[in-house]
Amino acid sequence: MNTELILQHGLTLDEYEVINNYLQRELTMEELGIFSAMWNEHCCYKTSKKWLKKLPTSNDIVIQGPGENAGIIDIQDDDAIAFKIESHNHPSYIEPFNGSATGVGGILRDIFTMGARPIATLNSIRFGDLSNFKTKYLVNGVVKGIGHYGNCIGIPNIGGECEFDHSYNYNNLVNAMAIGHVKKDSIFYSEPKTIGGLIVYIGSKTGKDGIHGASMASDVFSEDDEDSKRPSVQVGDPFMEKLLMEGCLELMDAKLIESMQDMGAAGITSSSVEMASKGNLGVEINLDKIPLREPLTAYEILLSESQERMLAVILEENNEKVKNILKKWEIDYEVIGVVTDTKKVIFKSQDKIVVDLPVDIIVDSAPEYDRPFNLPLKRKVQEYDFSRLNTETCLNNLLTNINYSHKAWVYDQYDSTVMGDTICEPGSSSGIVKVHKTNKAIGATTDCNPLYIRINPEQGMAHTVVESYRNLVSSNIKPMAITNNLNFASPIDQNIMGELVLSIHGLKETAEYFDTPIVSGNVSLYNQTNDEPIKPTPVIGCVGLNEDYQSIIPTHFQNDGDQIFMIGKPLDLAESPYFLQDQLGLNNINEFNDLAKCDFALEKKHQDFLFQMFDKNIIKSCNDISRGGPIHSLITMMTSQLGFHIKHSNELSLFSEYLAGYIMIIDQNNSESIVKEAQAGCIDLMHLGSVKNSAIEINKFQPKFNSVYEIYKNNFSDRIKN
Amino acid sequence: MSLSSAVITFPGSNCDRDAQTYLEALTSQDTHKVWHKDVSLPKVDLLIIPGGFSFGDYLRSGAMASKSPIINDVLKHADRGGYIIGICNGFQILTEIGLLDGALNRNINLKFLAKNCFIKKNHDNYFNKKILSDQCLSIPVAHNEGSYYNSEEGLKSLEDNQQISFLYCDEKGNTTDQSNLNGSLNHIAGITNKKKNVLGLMPHPERAFQDFHTSQDGQLILESLLG
Amino acid sequence: MRVKILVRLKKQILEPQGKNIEESLNSLGFDKCSNIRQGKLIELDLPDGLEDRDTYIKTICDKLLVNNVIEEYEVL
Repeated sequence: MNTELILQHGLTLDEYEVINNYLQRELTMEELGIFSAMWNEHCCYKTSKKWLKKLPTSNDIVIQGPGENAGIIDIQDDDAIAFKIESHNHPSYIEPFNGSATGVGGILRDIFTMGARPIATLNSIRFGDLSNFKTKYLVNGVVKGIGHYGNCIGIPNIGGECEFDHSYNYNNLVNAMAIGHVKKDSIFYSEPKTIGGLIVYIGSKTGKDGIHGASMASDVFSEDDEDSKRPSVQVGDPFMEKLLMEGCLELMDAKLIESMQDMGAAGITSSSVEMASKGNLGVEINLDKIPLREPLTAYEILLSESQERMLAVILEENNEKVKNILKKWEIDYEVIGVVTDTKKVIFKSQDKIVVDLPVDIIVDSAPEYDRPFNLPLKRKVQEYDFSRLNTETCLNNLLTNINYSHKAWVYDQYDSTVMGDTICEPGSSSGIVKVHKTNKAIGATTDCNPLYIRINPEQGMAHTVVESYRNLVSSNIKPMAITNNLNFASPIDQNIMGELVLSIHGLKETAEYFDTPIVSGNVSLYNQTNDEPIKPTPVIGCVGLNEDYQSIIPTHFQNDGDQIFMIGKPLDLAESPYFLQDQLGLNNINEFNDLAKCDFALEKKHQDFLFQMFDKNIIKSCNDISRGGPIHSLITMMTSQLGFHIKHSNELSLFSEYLAGYIMIIDQNNSESIVKEAQAGCIDLMHLGSVKNSAIEINKFQPKFNSVYEIYKNNFSDRIKN
Repeated sequence: MSLSSAVITFPGSNCDRDAQTYLEALTSQDTHKVWHKDVSLPKVDLLIIPGGFSFGDYLRSGAMASKSPIINDVLKHADRGGYIIGICNGFQILTEIGLLDGALNRNINLKFLAKNCFIKKNHDNYFNKKILSDQCLSIPVAHNEGSYYNSEEGLKSLEDNQQISFLYCDEKGNTTDQSNLNGSLNHIAGITNKKKNVLGLMPHPERAFQDFHTSQDGQLILESLLG
Repeated sequence: MRVKILVRLKKQILEPQGKNIEESLNSLGFDKCSNIRQGKLIELDLPDGLEDRDTYIKTICDKLLVNNVIEEYEVL
């Protein structure tokens, strides 16, 4: 053991000293590998833990909060929904196809390891400028990879986001979210209960995937060839995972499993340590029993991140039955160890003990940092010149900006209707699936406004969260709980650390006000290359419920002659960051004014109003207002036949952001009713105009409907092709 | 009239539950679930070979499924006039078995394609007799290898024997290059065997029948069979 | 012994993969390639001195490895 080796494994000398003092001896190489995996940011959240603890994580509907493979909420009757979002950023820059595919695979395992059948996925993906040399290659690879994995395993992809910004030029982001359905009495946890219980390995053989070769001491690697020293990319096999999923769900259905954990980041190391920790027990595992693809040393086995593998604890009397079910699905299965009462993690290899560590030192003593951070400086008030903007130029800027363009090129590569329960597909306000054999519907979205977070992390986060609520509410889905993926650059930079701390605070405040606890999530830090950090990108995955799937509200225009109404408070143009960025071309973050404060009371008031109007069948379709203002909302509501005629005294404000903004489409015959209801509820309602066959008119401006529709539909697919 | 039915599951089939839901809703009978390693099929009127990625689509889509133990009985079922519908991967499997002519190739734009498409009836058969000749059905497709291929003689034979069940079209019923999403020869979306008791089609009718689906046109295929 | 079987789409079949590869090479500045076709290589071990080796290979190709409607093969 020497300093260099310790530092190469990502531990500080202080951290090593803590371990050394506790154990009163030097670590073995294998044990060093374990700490390197378990004490890194991804596994122990050392930078973010202190702040994440402040988040609201429970209420009456939460069955399982953070701490297990996924969060679980009660959706009434016997039903529960498990969900989580996770990142696979760095691998998808190196190898976009496999990096993103394995991201999908990993999140799905987190769901079915708890006994829940996955019923939907969503993806939040972000890339650099299209003009950057690698962007198109990354977009193609990532979209193909997500599609490949999700389509093959047969789970519908129902929504997500796809954003482009130069700050992601060298650090593209792939956040994968999954949702699963489980009966409340059939949830499985990772906690083993029985001393003497068999620890079993289920799934693909182990290989060198994901082991970081280059900087490690050479004597820990197998001697076969040169390749053994190069880092290996994780390659996923969705067919294998489909078999694994069916096999595991069948085992759990037959109540043959005591506990289960998937082998994700840090493979068998993290899964066995977490199991031991949860059960307050010990594990003893023989590495010689692990099914291998190729010869591997003990160190390599411990750190391998080969995909499609699960660790489970079963009672000895169930061994034969388990074996037979897995044989049917042709899945590898080995008994590799036993649950003990020693509260230690023991790994053996070739008759030697290579790891002998108390669980406490790995888990409870894991470092928790309190990194210093800066609060953002107060912004000076700025003024801008909007004189060169008019409706035509603003509309043109929207239509030619790929961030506003229709993304069918992306989601036409994702199967969104497999499993036969999809109600709202990508392109709608939120993705919605019916809960099989019930009348309930689950809605989900992923949202983030990195520009807002950069300007004011706390308020920016609040705006992001309420926007995710609006996306659900506009479909008549009640937001219930949140999962979050915090993607940030280096926390060693005190400004960036400040963004992390404050956005968590903003999330806390909003989630508390609206009683939507955070039940799961993931943190991805160090997303930066040289001096270019990504914009702070805390992605919110929001999930909600509608008890009657027939009352789901569509997003798009329905009929010619329907009336267009709007609620919401427009922001001053000078306080609309996306307006300033996308219409005036502002780029330097110092040029922006501070964000307007998020108005929780107004958001709640409008949510309640909409739910009442939906109940009374007054609204035919609905969309929220966010980036691009009411005009962008209306464009996304258009169909190949239906446009809009609107009048407004302040045309430019039709492109600005709003607080608690929604567009509502009302049958002509109900116009009076909505006006009366708004008056009764003290809601500021504005009548904008009407839905019109094959026409667009904004005051006197009348662009050609077909041209606008074609550009909106094709801008992105035209630009992404070579 | 009712119909007894079965659905075969192969390792990697992922539309088997959807096919079962479709059958049970429209035939009002429980559907038998068959595992690919079973050696015999229950005696049923209709067998569905569902969509998915049987055997991961490794080697070729449907290639390995076509060698499963259950296939012998599938052939016997077809031989004695039993109905079979092969959907998507099921269509691919039927061509690999040889119950249907031709092969399904990679989509012409080389991308997985998942969207609603329109199909229309071409030659009459048991599976489309309730569909009017000018009626366009809106049904989702979701596939990577859906481009129908056959030799010139093969295509002529399909025409001569009136085996072309469905064509891709636009919402007005025109067969155009644009409406032929995957580049299938002669816009072919579905075909039958000579006896017309076996149908293979790429679109998924089991995703277009419930009240919350974008379209309910998928019902027409089963309703045709139910008489 | 190691057997290598090259499986390709028949010449008369439209093969968009090859065309796509050609376009990508062109866009990278390599415009001297044309008529690109893409196939797949299946490698396997057979015991040395296997009787009727050629027949064995032909049979496995016909039965599983090759779809004779659209593919042809060559033992390298």
